[in-house]
Amino acid sequence: MHSIWAVARNTLAQALRMKIAAVVILLLLILLPLMSMVMDGDGTLLGKLQTFTSYGLGLISLLLCILTIAISTYTLSNDLKCKYIFLVVTKPIRRFELILGKLLGIILLDILLLGIFSAILYGCTRLIPKITDAPESQKFQANAEFFTSRIGIKTELAKDLINNRARQRYNELKSSNQIPEDMSYARIMSELYVQEAMKVKRVDPGQTKEWDFEDVRVKNADDPNTFIFVRYKYQTAAPPPDEKVYGLWQVGDLRQFKAGAAKIKTPVYNVERDEVIRVTHEFAVPANAIAEDGYIGISFFNSTALNQTAIIPEELELLYQTGNFTANYFRAVLMILVRLVFLAVIGISLTTWLSFPVAVLVCITIFFVGLTNTFILDAIGGVGATAGMIYSILLKPLLWLLPQFDGVYNPNGYIVAGRTIQWTFLATTALFTLLVKGLLMLLAGMLIFRRREVARVAA
Amino acid sequence: MVTTENQYAIETISLTKIFPDWWGRAKVIAVEDLNLQVLQNEIYGFLGPNGSGKTTTIKMLLNLLHPTKGASFVFGGSVDSPAISGRIGYLPEESYLYRYLTARETLDFYGRIFGLPADIRKARIETLLEMVGLSGMGNRQIATFSKGMARRIGLAQALINDPDLLILDEPTSGMDPMGTRQIKDLFVELARRGKTILLCSHLLADVEDVCDRIGILYGGRMQVEGTVRQLLQQKDEMQMRTGQLSGRALEQIKRIVSSEGSPIDIEKPMDKLESFFIKVVAKARQEKQRTSGVEAGTGISGFLAEKPVVQHENILDKLVGAHPQKGPEEPEKSDRVEATKSPPVSQTQPPEADYGLLQQLTRQKTEAPLPSTETVQKEPEKPSVKKDILDDLIRKKSSGSTEITQPEKKEDTENA
Ligand SMILES: Nc1ncnc2c1ncn2[C@@H]1O[C@H](COP(=O)(O)OP(=O)(O)O)[C@@H](O)[C@H]1O
Ligand SMILES: [Mg+2]
Repeated sequence: MHSIWAVARNTLAQALRMKIAAVVILLLLILLPLMSMVMDGDGTLLGKLQTFTSYGLGLISLLLCILTIAISTYTLSNDLKCKYIFLVVTKPIRRFELILGKLLGIILLDILLLGIFSAILYGCTRLIPKITDAPESQKFQANAEFFTSRIGIKTELAKDLINNRARQRYNELKSSNQIPEDMSYARIMSELYVQEAMKVKRVDPGQTKEWDFEDVRVKNADDPNTFIFVRYKYQTAAPPPDEKVYGLWQVGDLRQFKAGAAKIKTPVYNVERDEVIRVTHEFAVPANAIAEDGYIGISFFNSTALNQTAIIPEELELLYQTGNFTANYFRAVLMILVRLVFLAVIGISLTTWLSFPVAVLVCITIFFVGLTNTFILDAIGGVGATAGMIYSILLKPLLWLLPQFDGVYNPNGYIVAGRTIQWTFLATTALFTLLVKGLLMLLAGMLIFRRREVARVAA
Repeated sequence: MVTTENQYAIETISLTKIFPDWWGRAKVIAVEDLNLQVLQNEIYGFLGPNGSGKTTTIKMLLNLLHPTKGASFVFGGSVDSPAISGRIGYLPEESYLYRYLTARETLDFYGRIFGLPADIRKARIETLLEMVGLSGMGNRQIATFSKGMARRIGLAQALINDPDLLILDEPTSGMDPMGTRQIKDLFVELARRGKTILLCSHLLADVEDVCDRIGILYGGRMQVEGTVRQLLQQKDEMQMRTGQLSGRALEQIKRIVSSEGSPIDIEKPMDKLESFFIKVVAKARQEKQRTSGVEAGTGISGFLAEKPVVQHENILDKLVGAHPQKGPEEPEKSDRVEATKSPPVSQTQPPEADYGLLQQLTRQKTEAPLPSTETVQKEPEKPSVKKDILDDLIRKKSSGSTEITQPEKKEDTENA
């Protein structure tokens, strides 16, 4: 253990005395406060906060990733190249302890730098509302949507139902010989799917649409100060004259009406809104609207008296708060740390058998694949043809071994939207990234290094 | 791994290292069939010209390289085991120290790896810095050190764990004469305290007055091995060492000796081991042993010399130069030379090749020979050549600056 610690200290000293660490530190120290001043987003306070944290976290993550890649590929390979290692491995230290020591050193450096810079970013983020003179409504919005930690439940489109209806329509058209001859089956079907999906989504004047959410569990739901939020965006069949939609919403246990019950146990809230189309909106209702069994229904009524066109409410989402911003920010930082540790593992593992330039190249490639890997894996999953099969057999295991830094694994998205990174998700991500993928690479590296003739010069 | 206390501090069994080329074919046979046995509490001088395989042997001992064949043991076990590597101090051929650390941090780092408690570590660091004469520079970065200074830190580093076995690869390279002397005194002191030292060098002055036993390596093979005394004694000759004598006194001595019927030759004293070493290497060369190390160099490069150097036709050089390395499938032509048995001697013209070797050796000598005993009995070396190469050398070299002379010796072969 003492030898691991000795190597870790030495690696830390090496990294801190390397110019690259100084450059990264300097860059961040200059850029972060500067960004907090010049970034404006869409002009609102929320927009400013979102742009700043998004770029800030992105910059910290990127620079520290590069630093980690550089140091982790440099430290062991340089020891080998400059033969420093002769004086280390001949002492009472096992080869795997040397690797673990180097890794520990880099992780400590990452924790140190990430801690410092995320603290600076946090400080700036908290400072922005105080130094900006924004109207109260904007401050309220920022608190409700940014300085919070919420979980969202989205409604899902009944794809099977829509598919069935599309197929049914196709058959009807076919029997009545209305199929255009110059169109392929796939194209007609996709067209029909879009049409049928629109039918399901649209709410014609005078009609009501309802969405059901099961098993919604909110802490302190009875507290009148606990809120749930409904988030949505309007599209319309024809543009309304003032670009506005008048919506009549109902949130609560809607089953109570259907049962025809005389007395209503849980409150149902009526919400009236007039809002511009194509922009995301949000309203809050007290959380006591949720029924005891966790059910809550949301309905939208398109009144003929107020609107003249069919309305398509999109991206409907029910949100509720699970914690505070600070804790969520901390989890976002931990998620970046998982990323950094994984890169350090890869860097060191690669240099047990590759030289510095090659290892850097491979490492950077892995990093960039990681930045789009979730997207790639999804895309491959979507391809159904034979070519897709081949890709998924050959490429998928390889891509699986590589990290995923994008999509749900990107902490930026959560912080910008004020969404909760759940501990369970963070833990499983860390476990899977580090203890499965990372450990596999590390063990391979240790195995190679154990057998390596360190005095052998590469030709 | 259980380490049985072994009588040998170092033992190698048929240790062989062949460096393959890019295609995996044998390219360089660096060490071949080496059976080295270093006793506990012994200073062993591991000699050999550049490229003879000394460093390669050490690297195999320390598991920095894997032997192609054979095995090596340190204290009866493998250096992989921390229990054994914790007892070794190693100074590599160059001081491979982290350049960004200060001298003190460097020693602290290695001390920590050995798991030394903080107080012992601190005390030892100060003592060692003092010992190597760098106590005032403890907080300077290694990068700012001269080669000799770094070398001293390298030595301090090798001693931080108070090792039972010191493996030193050319410890005096880059070191000034005072440092060299200090190091040699240190070796004697350490040996007195029961330590074992493997002293690897091509500088004969390093080893000759401190080593209990020496082995001479050439072309990866052990040529001779034995105690310094055994190897250098010549039983049928005597040498007198006096101060500067007047001509008259010399005449008288000569008269007395002639009356005894013994030949006499009066010369200035000289290095004993040096001539022996040269002879061993020359012999190995003459027997056309291949080496992957340095061949005989030519005197001074033509463009460097003020006057053109006369290049003598050298049959030996040609022979050796034509086959610098034998293929592995080629049968071995020479027997292994040992101190106890001598192979048949081939009749070859005395080589000028050794002029270069001699120069190379003397150039790097940092110290004057130390006369130790009044009289040294001399015994002709067992493996010797028909005509002493050095005799020939001296005669031809009239303008050379090297101050080495050799007592005129009778041609002597055991098997003649
Ligand atoms: N890594 C290597 N690859 C190929 N040849 C090597 C390597 N290391 C040493 N050699 C060769 O092995 C021989 C012995 O070298 P070395 O043990 O360093 O000699 P010494 O220490 O006695 O001067 C030399 O010919 C050298 O060129
Ligand atoms: Mg050497």
